[in-house]
Amino acid sequence: MTTSVDYNDLASQLQGQFGQGFTPAEDYVEVPCAFIAKAAEYMKNTLGFDYLGMVTAADYADHFEVIYQLQSIKTNSSALLKVRCPKDKPFVPSLANLWLGASLQEREVYDLFGIEFTEHPHLKRIVLWDGFKGYPLRKDFKGKAYGASD
Amino acid sequence: MNWSLSPDWPGNFWLRLIIIAVVIIAYVMSSVIMFIWMERRVIARFQSRLGPNRAGPFGLLQAFADTVKILTKEDIIPTLADKLLFWIAPAIAFVPTLMIMAVIPLMNGLQLADLNVGVLYIAAVSAIASIGVFLSGMAGNNKYSLVGAIREIAQLISFEIPMVLAIAGLVIASGSMSVSGIIEAQNIPFILVQPLGFMIFIVAILAEINRTPFDLVEADSELTCGFNTEYSGMKFALLYLTEYSEAVVGSALIATFFLGGWRGPLLPGILWFAIKMFASFMFILWLRGTLPRLRIDQSMRLAWKGLLPLAFVNLFIIGLKSVFLPDLSLWISVPAYILISLILVMLWAMFMRKERQSFGG
Amino acid sequence: MEIEPFTAAEIERRESDGIEALRAASQHPIPDPDSWLDEEIKRNVMFTTVDAALNWARKTSLWPVTAFTACCTFEFIGASSARFDIARFGMEVLRASPRQADLLVCAGTLTWKMAPQIKRLYDQMAEPKWAIAMGACAISGGIFCDSYSVVPGYNHIVPIDVYIPGCPPRPETLLAGIEALRRKIAKESIRKPK
Repeated sequence: MTTSVDYNDLASQLQGQFGQGFTPAEDYVEVPCAFIAKAAEYMKNTLGFDYLGMVTAADYADHFEVIYQLQSIKTNSSALLKVRCPKDKPFVPSLANLWLGASLQEREVYDLFGIEFTEHPHLKRIVLWDGFKGYPLRKDFKGKAYGASD
Repeated sequence: MNWSLSPDWPGNFWLRLIIIAVVIIAYVMSSVIMFIWMERRVIARFQSRLGPNRAGPFGLLQAFADTVKILTKEDIIPTLADKLLFWIAPAIAFVPTLMIMAVIPLMNGLQLADLNVGVLYIAAVSAIASIGVFLSGMAGNNKYSLVGAIREIAQLISFEIPMVLAIAGLVIASGSMSVSGIIEAQNIPFILVQPLGFMIFIVAILAEINRTPFDLVEADSELTCGFNTEYSGMKFALLYLTEYSEAVVGSALIATFFLGGWRGPLLPGILWFAIKMFASFMFILWLRGTLPRLRIDQSMRLAWKGLLPLAFVNLFIIGLKSVFLPDLSLWISVPAYILISLILVMLWAMFMRKERQSFGG
Repeated sequence: MEIEPFTAAEIERRESDGIEALRAASQHPIPDPDSWLDEEIKRNVMFTTVDAALNWARKTSLWPVTAFTACCTFEFIGASSARFDIARFGMEVLRASPRQADLLVCAGTLTWKMAPQIKRLYDQMAEPKWAIAMGACAISGGIFCDSYSVVPGYNHIVPIDVYIPGCPPRPETLLAGIEALRRKIAKESIRKPK
């Protein structure tokens, strides 16, 4: 069974490498927005988390959260990282250089939430069509159920 | 009772030609209708379900309903298709199958043309049907049909050679190249005298008529109907008919060359011919209900590395036997050759498996 | 006719324009082809033997096209398997090419992105052709009817002859719907406007 890492342990390791800002919680570590690419690279190459499970996002009242799940195949453990970014400047460093699979998932997050990933090789809409206006999974997207036309 | 037709019945050349041509066409058409019904019902029974049973008693009218429906569909010609080829290709595919039936005797003497090189004629004409299929794939301006057509030609060329070599073995054993001569020489059916030739011929004829496991030419899951993707209406009816009349011809060839044609006790020749033809088709259906489809590279590897050397060995053994042991008693030669052919097939299977492992399948 | 080379961006832009155009044009459902219910026409048209024979042939040999979108497909597959067996009605010949098929079984949710392809497929089918809307998503968009990406019912894109409710409809329900379509085909005439 895949076990979660001890998040306090992980947070202190990351803090030892990169400095302050890594807050552990019960089942995730919060990573500051500027450090996510470097932290992910550290976790992939040094700590052995070589498999990126998923990249997804959530829309809270005053910020976005991008959620990453990294897994280590050797030790059969998984780690959840969360990155907060402000709603008016939703820019997050991209992990596409580390894992090729991240490029598709980040395009999906961009398509549905509007969060832009810097240094992404090909950031454009993937599940919706190019001319679609708006980002549907945001809480303030007005769909038909809320009175918008079509 | 001796049921036979004299070679110049009923006296007038043209009358004989017309009557026997009509008889052959009627026989082929009714066999096609029966084969369509048999295929749907028998394959369904193989898969633990019923087949069509609403269209008339036991679903016997299903083939008629299919035909009438296809004939009254709208006829679509793609804008960029090659019009002449598009129009003529189904005909080129269908007519050679009737041409082959012209030299196969349905009964003693009921043969449209008793060519003394009938075997050569059959080998030549059977290739033209595949050219019709290839043209129909090419004419539609559709990449799926083009790929299906290319696979068809590749398969045709690969399996034509072992088929002709297997027939060459029959020619040596019977001493004549005419089809009626081969039937006359079958005091015991050639399936016992030349089991290896029979195995090679069955595999090769399955590939020639594009039946499972060699139906990659029209594989639904890969090619959206392959060569007949762009056809609808009457042209498609002709291609659909070609598929089944090729099966009729294939079963007729197996019945003629290896099972003894119209020969048999008591019943009239045409009844024995029909029984043997339907038995061969049941075997072909059995294969369709059981085996998965081969890829194009797997089937060509089977043809060139599996069947072709076996066909040469078969010809060699038959040649040796007819030169050095022409009077060997059948009680010895039949079991001996069956044993030899089983050993050879097993050896070849081991050889092909080793070779496939080294290439990674 | 020469083929212009497209870049990937150009292809995506054209696809997006096509989707937006289709979405703008499909705001209202296409009226159902139910003129056969019209009493006037029934009284004025005499059924001939030719009609009877053609209708019998067309309803006995309905060939579906293999084009299904979502989960109702598996109920269709179940209906074509051993227990329920649409082969009894002559329908087990699923033709992959639309030109040889006469029935489009609209099984599953249709998104706006897929809609131009389904419309193209329906247009490529040879007349006479019918369409069955199978399941709630095909009838009206189902539980996704207010979604930003779902077509609210296949009848915005293709004209539907029979609606089969269910989510998903059981194979027996699908067979009842096919039987309803066969009864409808039996009432058609070659002289009536379709």
